[in-house]
Amino acid sequence: MSAVTAPVDTVLGRRQLYMLPTRHGLLFALVLAVLLLAAINYGNGLAYALTFLLASVAVVSMLHTHRNLHRLRIAAGACAPVFAGQIAQFEIVLTNNTPASRFGILLSQNNEEQVRVDVPALNSASVALGVTARRRGRLPLPPFKLATRFPLGLLYSWSRPIHLQQFCLVYPAPSTPMPFRASPAEALRPEQGLRPDGDDFIGVREFLPGDSSRHVDWKAFARTGILAIKQFGGGYQTLVWLDWDVLEGLDTEARLSVLCRWVLDADAAGMHYGLRLPDTTITPDHGEAHQHRCLKALALFQV
Amino acid sequence: MYTMPDRQAMVWLYLTAACAVTPIVLNLPWWLNLVFTLCIGWRYASDHRGWIRPGRLLRLLLLVVVVVAVYRQYGTILGRNAGIALLVGLLGLKLLELRNARDYLLSLFLFYLVLLGAYLQEQAPWLGVWTLVTITVSLVAMLQLNQPQGLALRERLRLAGTLLAKALPLMLVVYLLFPRIQGTLWGLPVDAHGALTGLSEIMRPGSINSLGESTTPAFRVTFEGAMPSPRELYWRGLVLTDTDGQSWSRRRTSPAEPESFHALGEPVRYTVTLEPSNKPWMPALDLPAELPMGARAQPGYTFEHPTPVRERLTYTLSSHTRYRTPPIEIEERASALQLPDELSPRVQALAAGWQREHPEPRAIAQQALAHFRNENFVYTLKPPLLGQDPVDEFLFITRRGFCEHYAAAFVTLMRAAGVPTRVINGYQGGEVNSAGNYLVVRNSDAHAWAEIWVPNDGWVRVDPTSAIAPERVELGIDALRRLEARGVAPGSLPAAAVLRAIELGWFEGAWRHAGWYWDIANFNWHRWVVGYGKVRQERFLKNFGIQNVSWEKLLALLVGGAALVLLAYVAWQWRRPWMRDPVQRQYLRFCRKLARIGLVRAPHEGALDFARRCLTKRVDLQPAIEDITAKYLRLRYDRAANEEEWRAFKREVAAFHP
Repeated sequence: MSAVTAPVDTVLGRRQLYMLPTRHGLLFALVLAVLLLAAINYGNGLAYALTFLLASVAVVSMLHTHRNLHRLRIAAGACAPVFAGQIAQFEIVLTNNTPASRFGILLSQNNEEQVRVDVPALNSASVALGVTARRRGRLPLPPFKLATRFPLGLLYSWSRPIHLQQFCLVYPAPSTPMPFRASPAEALRPEQGLRPDGDDFIGVREFLPGDSSRHVDWKAFARTGILAIKQFGGGYQTLVWLDWDVLEGLDTEARLSVLCRWVLDADAAGMHYGLRLPDTTITPDHGEAHQHRCLKALALFQV
Repeated sequence: MYTMPDRQAMVWLYLTAACAVTPIVLNLPWWLNLVFTLCIGWRYASDHRGWIRPGRLLRLLLLVVVVVAVYRQYGTILGRNAGIALLVGLLGLKLLELRNARDYLLSLFLFYLVLLGAYLQEQAPWLGVWTLVTITVSLVAMLQLNQPQGLALRERLRLAGTLLAKALPLMLVVYLLFPRIQGTLWGLPVDAHGALTGLSEIMRPGSINSLGESTTPAFRVTFEGAMPSPRELYWRGLVLTDTDGQSWSRRRTSPAEPESFHALGEPVRYTVTLEPSNKPWMPALDLPAELPMGARAQPGYTFEHPTPVRERLTYTLSSHTRYRTPPIEIEERASALQLPDELSPRVQALAAGWQREHPEPRAIAQQALAHFRNENFVYTLKPPLLGQDPVDEFLFITRRGFCEHYAAAFVTLMRAAGVPTRVINGYQGGEVNSAGNYLVVRNSDAHAWAEIWVPNDGWVRVDPTSAIAPERVELGIDALRRLEARGVAPGSLPAAAVLRAIELGWFEGAWRHAGWYWDIANFNWHRWVVGYGKVRQERFLKNFGIQNVSWEKLLALLVGGAALVLLAYVAWQWRRPWMRDPVQRQYLRFCRKLARIGLVRAPHEGALDFARRCLTKRVDLQPAIEDITAKYLRLRYDRAANEEEWRAFKREVAAFHP
């Protein structure tokens, strides 16, 4: 069974769908066989009608089962980075561009049924496909299948495995807490000066595109209708260099784990920190984006 | 893996159970209905009120009790009725304990077998309708099990209805074309045809004190031309010649060839659809000119089916209501003169007196009829019982009877007077169903009359009943019943007064009219459901020019037909995507309306460009075109568009008349 490979999204076509009766469907067929034998034996018109009507319902439900998956658009959504050992949640967006709602779509990976989702008509729904991230680096979205037993549960329709080009960034697993070690070049030292993100309120200025919404003076906005930014500053910042070289004696993965832990600790402590790896250097800074940049560098180190 | 049945699903299973058991509830022993209801009640209480469920031991005990009780009730647990009773009992117990999806579906499917049990009792039209209801409920149950959330009840019902509606055409194809076989795979139970009654082979006047009132149709007739007048509607079933004084039976010889006669008028062509009677007689209008296909000739221009008629039988015939039959042979003459060994002297004397007065057969018959008319004879549907010599008792003591009494007495008298005579047993009259333009002859229309043999003319029909109760022949047995119900003695009123007396009230008339349509529905139901066997199937296929069907050919037709239906569904489902977009569909409708006034949208033209071009031609349409185009663009490309705008858009497109 060849898989559907698509860069970011794919639409399920006829050729990608299969169908077989379920165990319940076989049971149904058995009961129909008994009914048919009785109908023939007694020459009973109503029994014939009942048998054929039920059989026809099963056949018609085949079309409904097929339609439940057919023309469903499947796209990969965002995937938040995780640390190695955690479960990566790949977002899969199912879009239904038809006026018929889709019910009971089963998303499965490795033949284990995992998630069940309904997609309303002319709408989309997203589901998270959980994949355990074993190693740092880029974790590709594994092939998965869509399946359904809607409406009657007599038939099971499933798709070929779907490959979407989506990755999840996996940071190294942080090591157990470990105190910062000073790099030989620049010892851990407090650095003085006015920092833009101190704790003390120092005034307001006009909002500029790109400013964080966290610092908007909402109360003032409610009063005056003018977007203003509260400025903070004046704090004394500690600057730290997280250096690959100070961890000599450990192997690569262990070093990355420790560095990961330090990045997290430094960020939690509100420090300014920089990262030095054999092939990259990230200048000291702080904040979410900076943390991500550092962790990404660790995740993709020599990958 | 599979979902477990939730409470809601259980409720739908109970509903399916109730639907499936309802048609046979009166045939099941009362205690079984009680057990079944209690099982459902217990299960419901345990699901909703937290009652404890029976343990394994108790369930086993209940199982044994049910099996033993069914055995005691029926003397077996294997027969048809016992089997259904056992199935219902076991399903009740199953409902008590079922916990997974498989048990749930197994029970659900077995309720279809309970329905089958109902069909084996009777195949009434209402049962067909009820089947649709039951299947719908069971489909909702399956939906509920398979998809417990996400659908409202209305949507579930609609989906079940859609599935059923789509299945019906497919079912019709399979139903009509599935190769039917004559006879059965295994033997049928002895009582399978017990309820059917046709004309009796032996006539015993005086042994019953009320005429059968069964108004179930015996047969229906469609005439190719005009319908003969009611007095000509004598349907001969069998000819009774031999008598021992108490009963009349057929002559035990069978002519190899059908008898011939000399026709005096135009033939009447008609088609008879005979109800299963469990008797071989095939009634025909006096006198049939041909032998229907597959029938066997019998004495006296009658014929019969080689086997008792257990399936609806249709045959086409032509008859002549005016005829002259050829001379009879000595043997036939002798049997038509046969009298019981001990004929009452009073009867002999009466007949001898007529013979002396006017020896001519017709004249003797006239005297006999005059005797009935003048001697205070009464036609009644509830005559007294007669003893050892019924003819004598009837003629001289009771003088009350219906057709059989008069026929038997008349024939005995005629034979005593030396005129070869025989009794004809059959039907007289029938009710015209003007709604369906056919004649319904019911079992209550059964009649007995006589034929006398007249030199040169042959067999001549004489109906002694008509002498005493002309209404019986002119207006039918139904009119007689109405007369009797109003306390009017037949033959006592002038014709116009009789008509007034039997006139129906408004309600009765409407009721009768509705009855005709009901009979048509019944007729078709029987034709297409109960009686749709091998013969009917062949006849049906002949309409399409398909003859000599083998089962291989039928199966090929079946597969082809079913595939066609499915293809139509698939084509509908896979039609081009834009056809499925409701917004686009409405917009195209708008474009078609514009195309009709010569404004055709070019394939490359966008909605705005097209609108602009239209406006250069028709400024008067500006508000409508601009509005519809704007709404279309918004609905199609703006996610914020809402339901209200969609409705307004549809309304405007519908109201757009360039």
